[in-house]
Amino acid sequence: MQSFKPTRRTFLKTGTAAAALIGFGPAVLRGAAAQEADLAPYKSAKIDWQQASGETITVAVIPASYFENLITLAPQFKTLTGIDVRFEKIPPAQIRQKCVIDLTSKTGTYATHAADPMYYSLYAANKWVEPLDGYLKDKSLTDDAWFKFDDIIPAWRAADSIDGKLYGVPYDGEVTIQVYRKDLYDAKGLKPADTLEAYVANAAALNNPNDRIWGAALRGVAGAGQNMYIYPSIFREFGGEWFKGGKLTVNGPEAEAALAWYVDLMRKYAPTAAANWNWPDIADAFSQGTVANYIDAHSSASVVNNPEKSKVIGKVAYARWPKGPSGKRVTSIWNWGFPINAALPEKRKKATWLFIQWAASAETQARTAHRFAGPTKRSGVNRTSIWKDADYVKLMNGFGSNFVEATMQALQEDTDVDWRPRVPQWPAIGDTMATAIQSALSGQATVKAALDDAQKRIEPMMRG
Amino acid sequence: MTGKRLRVFALLAISLVFLLAWAFPVLWSVLNSLKTDRDALAYPPKLIFTPTWEAYHDVLFGSASILPNLVSSMVISVGTTVVTMLMAIPAAYALARLRFRGKKFAGFYVLATQMLPPVGIIIPYFLVLRNIGWIDTYQGIILIYLSFSLPFAIWLLVSYFEDIPFEMEEAAYLDGASRLRTLWRIIIPQVRGGIAVTVVFVFLNAWNEFLFAVVLSGNTVRPVTVAMFNFVSVEQTLWAKLAAVSVLAMLPVVVLGVVAQKHIVKGLTVGAVKGGGRR
Amino acid sequence: MTQAATTTARDFGRVLAQRERRFAAALLAPAFLALMATTTFPLFFLIWTSAFRMDLAMPFTNGFVGFENYSVLLADERFWTSLVVSLVYTVSTVVLQVVIGLALALLVMDMKRGQGLFRLIAILPVVLSPAVVGMIWRTFMLAPEFGIVDFLAINAGLGSKNWLGDPLLAMISVIVIHTWQWTPFAFMVLLASLASLPEDIYEAARLDRATAWQRFRRITLPLLRPAIVMVIIMRTMVALTAFAAIFTVTGGGPGTATEILNLYAYRKSFTELSIGYGSALAVALLIVTILISAILFAMRRAK
Repeated sequence: MQSFKPTRRTFLKTGTAAAALIGFGPAVLRGAAAQEADLAPYKSAKIDWQQASGETITVAVIPASYFENLITLAPQFKTLTGIDVRFEKIPPAQIRQKCVIDLTSKTGTYATHAADPMYYSLYAANKWVEPLDGYLKDKSLTDDAWFKFDDIIPAWRAADSIDGKLYGVPYDGEVTIQVYRKDLYDAKGLKPADTLEAYVANAAALNNPNDRIWGAALRGVAGAGQNMYIYPSIFREFGGEWFKGGKLTVNGPEAEAALAWYVDLMRKYAPTAAANWNWPDIADAFSQGTVANYIDAHSSASVVNNPEKSKVIGKVAYARWPKGPSGKRVTSIWNWGFPINAALPEKRKKATWLFIQWAASAETQARTAHRFAGPTKRSGVNRTSIWKDADYVKLMNGFGSNFVEATMQALQEDTDVDWRPRVPQWPAIGDTMATAIQSALSGQATVKAALDDAQKRIEPMMRG
Repeated sequence: MTGKRLRVFALLAISLVFLLAWAFPVLWSVLNSLKTDRDALAYPPKLIFTPTWEAYHDVLFGSASILPNLVSSMVISVGTTVVTMLMAIPAAYALARLRFRGKKFAGFYVLATQMLPPVGIIIPYFLVLRNIGWIDTYQGIILIYLSFSLPFAIWLLVSYFEDIPFEMEEAAYLDGASRLRTLWRIIIPQVRGGIAVTVVFVFLNAWNEFLFAVVLSGNTVRPVTVAMFNFVSVEQTLWAKLAAVSVLAMLPVVVLGVVAQKHIVKGLTVGAVKGGGRR
Repeated sequence: MTQAATTTARDFGRVLAQRERRFAAALLAPAFLALMATTTFPLFFLIWTSAFRMDLAMPFTNGFVGFENYSVLLADERFWTSLVVSLVYTVSTVVLQVVIGLALALLVMDMKRGQGLFRLIAILPVVLSPAVVGMIWRTFMLAPEFGIVDFLAINAGLGSKNWLGDPLLAMISVIVIHTWQWTPFAFMVLLASLASLPEDIYEAARLDRATAWQRFRRITLPLLRPAIVMVIIMRTMVALTAFAAIFTVTGGGPGTATEILNLYAYRKSFTELSIGYGSALAVALLIVTILISAILFAMRRAK
């Protein structure tokens, strides 16, 4: 007879085992379901999906619903290809840093990761990731008639290419658009602004802090993907060019005018806190009815329409960016794409490509969007054809009037590859600019001083 | 007489304000963790609502479960504590009880190592661990945690060892016991209290560490202090869940704090009087 | 005969001393090897890296640059700003902790009941992770239109304030948060020191009809001085290396308003990935720490 005495070690072991069970339990169930799942749409591709069977790849993503949906389908991929995929969820503030560090150390921890398009210059300059054109052209790896690469939204493909070479395949993306309260606009007889001037006028007309309504809000929090995600649109709309005579210039007259506009709008018509807001904060405020208009990612529509939180459902409408003084509208070309880590052994590179092809395919895109079984459906699918699919359009239009039109027009007409300066030094430049913009927004520095300081800091970075 | 009553009343009021100020943020997180997201977001903030365990259920058993991270924190903290104590007890004994050349310098060295700013340690450490592939491993994190737990533990223990009367040891020697045996059988039982205090502190500091963890962690080893950031998501801040995660991250240390209250106060004061200890 | 006896005794003593040294070496070895590996070695390595340009993002530009990082650093306004922020943060939080902690300790000392409750509650902030504390304050306490502090400010007629988005308010906020978390530490240490003071001196003073203030100035304060200085030293070291709370609450923002030197070094090294320059910043921080502790320890010795 042996009596069971829990020691610390067995305790830890069982603890981990329990954790593992809880973590993988649902995956096992999903695996069973995947057996029955219909893989026919994938098998119609004329490639050997099983060619890298037995490989295991790790994919770094952020904890967002559009990746959660993909993770749910991973067992289907396993059945289709025999490749194991481990997903690692990394907080958005850390994913770039973690992935760059992995790439520099050439350990190949992450076969692919959700990549920020601004980082491809850096990746390409260091040859850390594979050029993907070869994979696209290789008939044994890609059936183009099935994959239809050209169906992927052109602006996003361009954002993921450097000097005409493709380095990442867009999985999910977004454009920035105006999100506004139709009821408030109607009550005052206002129309969504078509110019930045009109935008300010609208904000002024609706701004009424005593009743807890503010005219507008833009993200202000510092970050290469935060205020340096909004500001570049304004800068470009004011006619700004990042490179003057081959030199990165951030303190020209257009820059000053653009930042002054941003600061002025935020000071006068945004909640004081917005200077420190990220977009979830804006969307939360909007959903509580305190913001009349904001410009941000179209995907925030799902938050302002979340029945568990929002008080403004049915009162929301959408419009494109207002035009700037240059006559241009400039939206974001943001997307999460998947590159291939160059440090992988050949067979694993192939496995990674198969994963990317699967994730970016029209079938998987549809299965994670309008055909997804769960409650949160994706709104950033990568394919033009799906944006025209009746079921998808119907679902998206549930977010409010003009949603699909505004988003589609922005995607097709308002994108600009030079939205942000695409150089390998971007991590440092983005952070420097973000800090400068926030200094100006918070009143720590004047617009001119903030930009001049940024210029001074950026110049030695560019000297290399 | 009324003057005195007034004074007592004022003192009572001040004390209450401070007690409330210290307890409130913690209590408020607990309250928010029991709300739905809609209640958590309400303005004015809700004090009365229907409590729900939903947020806890989600963060423990949902798709983004925090459970592995709690396990990770536990393994790191227990591992650090065990390794630290195994090294610190003999070292502290030697520094407190034995005569040898360079003793003063050794004591100064232990104190001086505490002056190194953590950010100065993590940069070189990161470069080295990256080269030997120890990033995102328990051994990597525990090793670097020794940089702050060891000097602290040694310093705290030295003051306890110094308090034992020499006669006890001498009696043991006269009985012919070996030094190691004396240390083990006679001395260590005398400093049980000090060891308990040190264990509590080392555990707390390891559980609460953030800077090293944020740089060195990955999927395998990610303590809860770092994983918590997953709830300030890209899509929306999950208020109730964030509160629930914060409460779960606080729970072990608060329980430990309440249970070992006397030890903690003692550790703080001993450390303060003798001049060691920091976090 | 006596000569021989003393020689053997001396020899015996030497053997004993040698044995003791060996034993001490054996006991110290593991801890000191670990300490050298985790503190001394990184220190030298840090100084070495600070002499390089080491940009993880741009490996092709890397190379030995000698003192260039330091000359850049001396001309770097952001470095000087962060140094000032560090000093303001350190001095103000330490002063606040000691003053409030001492006042509360004196107050609680006189209490006949409720001391236990005070001690119990005071433990709470001290045991928490600064990262969690930062998270709670940033969200549930300070978020405008949502946090409880802002709610109170609105109801007090101050209006909604941008607690973390305004340079001055953000600085005040991070100072308050640090003070909130660590004052109990000063409080508990000083309370324990107060309790250990001899009661009879007070009796004598009372007979001399000294006022409460006089008693405090002439008796309590001088007797508490060693404890207070110790608290100041310990809290200063912590404040100088504080990281997690500011990192989670403001990330150094808005702009660089709350960017302490520690955080600047981190951002340079791990956000901008300029490890060489980040190392130089860390060395600068180390030098500042050593200077300040030298001053404080001198203070401790001076009577």
